[in-house]
Amino acid sequence: MLALKMLWRSWRGGQLGLIFAALVLAVAVVTSVALLAERVERALVSESSVFLAADLVIRSSKPANPEWLQRAAEEGVRTARTVSFASMTYQGDEMHLASVKAVESGYPLRGTLKRSQIPFATEAADIESVSYGPAPGELWVDSRLLPLLSIELGDAIELGDGSFKVSQILIEEPDSGSSFSSMLGARILMNWQDLDQAGVIQPGSRVTYRLLLADGEGFASYVDWLKQQLSIHERVITPDEAQASIASTMDRGRRFLLLAGSIGVVLAGIALALASHHFASGQILQVALLKSWGTSASRVRSLYLQQIILLGTIGSLIGLFVGWSFHQLLISVVREWLPIALPTAGPRPWITGMATGMLCLAGFTLPALWHLPAQSPLAVLRRDTPIKAFNAIVRGFLGVLAVALLLVWYSNNVILALAILLGFALTAASSIGVGLLLLRLGKTYGHWMGSIWRLALSNLWRRKKPSLIQMVGFSGAIALLMIMVVVRTSLIDEWRWQLADDSPNHFIVNVAAYELDGVKQLIDDRKLETAGWYSMVRGRITQLKDLPPEDVVAEGHESLRREINLSWTRDLPEGNSIVDGQWWDDSVPSNSDSQNSDSQSSNLAPVSLEVDIAAELGLKLGDKIRFSVGGLEFDAVITSTRSLNWDNMTPNFYFLFPEGYLEEYPRTHMTSLYVPAEEKLLVNDLLRHYPTLQVVELDKIIDRIRTIVSQVTRGLEMMTLLILGCGILVMFAAVSLSMEERLKESAILRTLGSSRRLILGVQWVEFSTLGLMAGLLAALGAEFAVAMLQRFMFQQEFVWHPWLWLVGPLVGGLLVGILGVAYSRKAVTQPPLQVLNSL
Amino acid sequence: MIEVNQISKQVETSEGSLRILDNINLSVQNGETLAIVGASGSGKSTLLGILAGLDLPSSGSVSINGEDITAMDEEGRAAVRAGHVGFVFQSFHLLPGLTALENVALPLELQGVADALRTAEHYLERVGLAARVGHYPRQLSGGEQQRVALARAFACRPTILFADEPTGNLDTGTGGKINDLLFALNEEEGTTLVLVTHEKTLAARCSRTLELQGGRQLDAANTNTAGRGA
Repeated sequence: MLALKMLWRSWRGGQLGLIFAALVLAVAVVTSVALLAERVERALVSESSVFLAADLVIRSSKPANPEWLQRAAEEGVRTARTVSFASMTYQGDEMHLASVKAVESGYPLRGTLKRSQIPFATEAADIESVSYGPAPGELWVDSRLLPLLSIELGDAIELGDGSFKVSQILIEEPDSGSSFSSMLGARILMNWQDLDQAGVIQPGSRVTYRLLLADGEGFASYVDWLKQQLSIHERVITPDEAQASIASTMDRGRRFLLLAGSIGVVLAGIALALASHHFASGQILQVALLKSWGTSASRVRSLYLQQIILLGTIGSLIGLFVGWSFHQLLISVVREWLPIALPTAGPRPWITGMATGMLCLAGFTLPALWHLPAQSPLAVLRRDTPIKAFNAIVRGFLGVLAVALLLVWYSNNVILALAILLGFALTAASSIGVGLLLLRLGKTYGHWMGSIWRLALSNLWRRKKPSLIQMVGFSGAIALLMIMVVVRTSLIDEWRWQLADDSPNHFIVNVAAYELDGVKQLIDDRKLETAGWYSMVRGRITQLKDLPPEDVVAEGHESLRREINLSWTRDLPEGNSIVDGQWWDDSVPSNSDSQNSDSQSSNLAPVSLEVDIAAELGLKLGDKIRFSVGGLEFDAVITSTRSLNWDNMTPNFYFLFPEGYLEEYPRTHMTSLYVPAEEKLLVNDLLRHYPTLQVVELDKIIDRIRTIVSQVTRGLEMMTLLILGCGILVMFAAVSLSMEERLKESAILRTLGSSRRLILGVQWVEFSTLGLMAGLLAALGAEFAVAMLQRFMFQQEFVWHPWLWLVGPLVGGLLVGILGVAYSRKAVTQPPLQVLNSL
Repeated sequence: MIEVNQISKQVETSEGSLRILDNINLSVQNGETLAIVGASGSGKSTLLGILAGLDLPSSGSVSINGEDITAMDEEGRAAVRAGHVGFVFQSFHLLPGLTALENVALPLELQGVADALRTAEHYLERVGLAARVGHYPRQLSGGEQQRVALARAFACRPTILFADEPTGNLDTGTGGKINDLLFALNEEEGTTLVLVTHEKTLAARCSRTLELQGGRQLDAANTNTAGRGA
């Protein structure tokens, strides 16, 4: 096959190296990211099911409707009911407010329970995994309940009206992280059938029912049906929501991977476009010869088309393999946080990878070669025979179209695709417009400088077309690399608190004023530090908009049925941001001032609401809420709504008041602190001395997040390296564009006796000037794209990056200068005739 | 045979219309050797391009073996070139990424010749480069490169060979050897040879000479008394 022969000869002649490398890299980047994303996505879904102990959970304050269970049984959907509540347990004189969960026999539907016969067991050999809960009459309890109640395994304890045998130590339950309240007090797992005997659940008890659902043929249709039956009392919990912090970390990581992959594709696309342009100019003689020998234009086109298809197929297949290998490497880095085996990927990543290869060639290489068959055979006699090149605008459009198609298909995210394309377009357009101006200025003012500068700057102007193409390539590559580094840095910064070893992992809440000193003392004794104490009062909502709450919210909202935490602060807490209205400033009168006023309206306390709860209660700015705290009522008016950051493990409040408004009411205190593993018994000491306070233990979850974050970060670093590789490739492609002409000129200058210093100096000035200009323009494009990405994709605040404007030109000038000089060293190390002959 | 009937070539420049060739008439018989001579810019290469069907005249016609190539489209002319024409160029035009053997074999492969490589090897042997078949153009001297180009031109067994200053880039000694080889091969293959040169000695070896001056032929192509292939 002639096309194959020609392809092989071009490859051997070194003309295809850059095209091939760009192609393989584009396919490899896309394939590795797509494979990783899909496999992790699949793993996360099944992992999240484990966190939920089910595929889907319906949470409610009321027991599940028997009709739902019946329908589930008919559809073959597995179910298990659980109910969680706090209850006092006793043994002799000891008592403890435990977190009890009663489970039906099917529990857990996903994942396993870990139990042991040894309290505080950590050795794997001592721990047994089982997929069922306690039998009737038995309790499985948290290790620390034993010292709290001074009991041994096998002893009986009292729970409500019943007495039950403690038969196992509960080491871990799959869905422990799914509920904040489950982390208060030592966990007791009991059988659902024992609920009646215990008699702990009375009408009005504060309990949470869960209906766990998993698999079965009719699962999807059953869930659709069930969702229509639900009222405001019931909430559907999906696997994604089960682990919000982990999911959000993973989601950000996934988005970054997508971004990096997309940037990789665009970079490889630029490299491909430049390399194809270079390749096409090297083919002019061959095409002219073929045509002078009588080969028809259609045959020439067919020969090149066949070569492109062959190149695309071989390059893409190798790219798929390289991508697969790289994704294996990435997986080996992040494997630890995926305790279950990664599911195999479906066909999509492979199709995406292959399509990338073909589309890249169709968008970048084909347009560059398309005009070749139109080459006049007369060029064999006259090298300067003009060739009607494919319209540059059409070529550019085809390239952009290919990239846009790839980006959208690949990222499934129009904003990401738009940000990258617009950022790149801005960089390219300004490279052409401003670049031309800068080149002109350089030429004009170069006359004032030394001979090297004068020669170099006038060379750049003389070669303005290739200079501009190079500048587009350099600035595009630098801009895209800067976008990636900025986003990566801001993501890692955001996660830094999670990576810090001493971030709070325990919350102590419900500390009465008279207990405060004692609790502080206990903490001080162990030389631990809190993150500061917060005060709060507990109150109920008794009126909304001057009406009874049930008239405003048709079906009782959770926050209307129980006491809620009210707190106060002068400054907007970190991680909160105002959605609507205004945060109070110092001009807000304190409560004591307002009591002196005669005006009815000035008795209204300003209150800031969390935005979702405001929506659920149908409240907006200016609406009134009446609170009752310990029987005393007061009115408040909504002055702002806030969004909260639930990722940062610091106390968050739905209702916030200015300082001074709640001080007359009985308050409790809360804090968060870091408790290292060896000081864990502090929790027991606290609970033993102050049975009414509650300790929320987040250490296991935080450890887990920390592992995930550090591994995801390592994964991102590796990805960054791969993309940097793409960037360097673009630089190479761009530098090699004009190299032949430069070497020829340098060889002639050398023949005329020019010094090594002059020749390399000219190259250095030319390339570093190009790089410097490109870096400057790249900073502009990167700043714009990052602003778009931060605003729309990562939901971060816009931050100006002054360093881009310094680092861009500096790195651009240095990198491009060094590459250019390294490339053109041949001109001074080899005899001029040898250089000329090799061209 | 080549029939040239009143061809002229004009091009538009920024300073107005420029007549490169003016009313050229010519007839070249099969097996004849014709030298086109003249000073630089006299239109020699333009005439060669038009005779070979690489370019079109502004007026007039050119026939090769009775077929009017000026009336054909580019595909038609390509077919005529594929069937009848071979080229040798001043700057050799070897493809740098291909070995000597591959350079010679490429046009044969394009024609679908089954044993292209063997044929190419045979012609390289005939130009005395059997030992250099695997060498790339950059590894060959100028004379060797032109010998490869000769092998490439003759390997396709053209009926007409067009040569544009075949020794223009070579020193006198090497150029003389290349000329000997060109005429020897031409004789053996019975090819019609049309060459452009400014070397009087080379022109003298052709059976006829056409001298151009400012795009006009000075007189009807002269018959050289020196004799063919001498």
